[in-house]
Amino acid sequence: MPVAGRKVAIVGMAGAFPDCADLSEFNKKIFAGTSLIREWPKAVAYNKQIRSTVSGYISDNDLGIDPIYLVEGYDWPDTFIDTLGRIPDINLSTADLGCVWAMINAQEAIAMAGWTKTETESEQTGVVVASGGGGNVIARHAWHAFFELGKKSRQAGSHTVDRAMSYREAANISCLIKNRGVCESIISACATGLGNIGYAYRLIKFGLQDRAIAGGVEGTALETFIGFDAMQVLSKGFTPAQSSRPFDLNRNGFVCSFGSGIVALEEYDMAKARGANILAVIDEYFNNSDGDGNMFYPSYDGQIRLWKGLAAGGAHIKPDVVKVHGTATPVGDILELISVVDTLGEDGYHITAPKSMFGHMLGAAGSVELVSAILMLQNQQVLPNINSDTLNPELENFQKKEGWQGSMKPAQAYRHLIPQETISKEINQIVCLNYGFGGTNSAMAISRDI
Amino acid sequence: MERQEVIDGLIEVLRTVRTVDPAKLENVTEETDFMEDLSTPSTELINIAAKVEQKFNVEFEDEDIDDLGSKVKDVVDLILKAKARGEA
Repeated sequence: MPVAGRKVAIVGMAGAFPDCADLSEFNKKIFAGTSLIREWPKAVAYNKQIRSTVSGYISDNDLGIDPIYLVEGYDWPDTFIDTLGRIPDINLSTADLGCVWAMINAQEAIAMAGWTKTETESEQTGVVVASGGGGNVIARHAWHAFFELGKKSRQAGSHTVDRAMSYREAANISCLIKNRGVCESIISACATGLGNIGYAYRLIKFGLQDRAIAGGVEGTALETFIGFDAMQVLSKGFTPAQSSRPFDLNRNGFVCSFGSGIVALEEYDMAKARGANILAVIDEYFNNSDGDGNMFYPSYDGQIRLWKGLAAGGAHIKPDVVKVHGTATPVGDILELISVVDTLGEDGYHITAPKSMFGHMLGAAGSVELVSAILMLQNQQVLPNINSDTLNPELENFQKKEGWQGSMKPAQAYRHLIPQETISKEINQIVCLNYGFGGTNSAMAISRDI
Repeated sequence: MERQEVIDGLIEVLRTVRTVDPAKLENVTEETDFMEDLSTPSTELINIAAKVEQKFNVEFEDEDIDDLGSKVKDVVDLILKAKARGEA
């Protein structure tokens, strides 16, 4: 349970973002409404085998990383070199691509937080980081060598386990920064990124840790992309920059993207006492499940209960901006829009879906979007919903069903809440929402430290 | 296959093992010890064996790997043994 008087501050943040060298370029591009989505040559190479070919991807050799290949004939990275000398080779040998980003971002977040070596290596410092998928690139090649090529198991590589296990990002970060507290992963599909930060928030709020490195990662993997392509849920038929279209009438799926978002959390009074720069304060985190037995379909009831749960602990929830999950799938966006409107009313805040700029980063979505929300607090600007050109003037099918309890207005009635351009205004609180397969819902409210 | 040719190929493989310091590969002899002289982590030895199998297109017996010494000459002997077995 929460310990009275304990608050949690965000004191560091970092990320790996598609088509951006660093956080500063990411900041500039998204607030300029620039799409980070490109045609992905790796997907295009498979011609008609693959349906969608656009992605917010980060290549093996971006961000100062060079892949090292095995002896000739093997086209997958055996390990990586950090050309900028940030991560020691021994740590790189146990990392897949996402883990490399996670380690670099953890270092950057700690540097921004200003933690000393003693603080970082303390028993009171935890690591809570995960990705939504397994180490699919590593696993595919390992299995191929064994099952298809008939090779000895050692040909899979002696690092198959540490490079592909479910909590590899947390394990690699912990081995790098040498913390002595908690090291765990919370895995909940596309709610993973926010879920890990929410869990870390609770560790501090409940008095179990004083600091935590937390977030979500999704390493670039065509293997992961293929799974979603197979479901026919990816955007198709638009130019890359126009492919991710949350709320738009003509949206036809999400853009599968990759990235990393890592934050450094610290007990508020401790951070204040040492003069840390407080990027944001976490007011509350809450998560629940739909409880309707449906793996994929979002639940209005689940989302309404999510909002109630967020406020139930006494936190003052009156956001100036709601950062929605908004993936651009046909059903999810408007159902989410209505659950927000039915909770907060029809005025007094804005809604933004940053996926319109960079797509859906799966297990990294919640954490990269939380970083985007912190940037909104810093810039005092609301991110635009690019490509939300036309909102449906008609009711959605789910609004016409018997028993529907929500708003009976079409999406078009809420145009004023969904800006297409970046707008400046006073922003004191933002609520971030993310959901995942299995009917899992998560919400976090963050505020400026004033 | 000459022993020096095998050593040269082995060094090429070691250059792709990032946990081995490249500077230490300048003076490798048959007596060089992977663990003591090259500071190779024990977890990397099996990786090196697997890469060597790919490089020289040979397959070692599991028992030979289990009993493998930690010096360069031990690996060279193993490669030549496997080569000879392949050619027999």
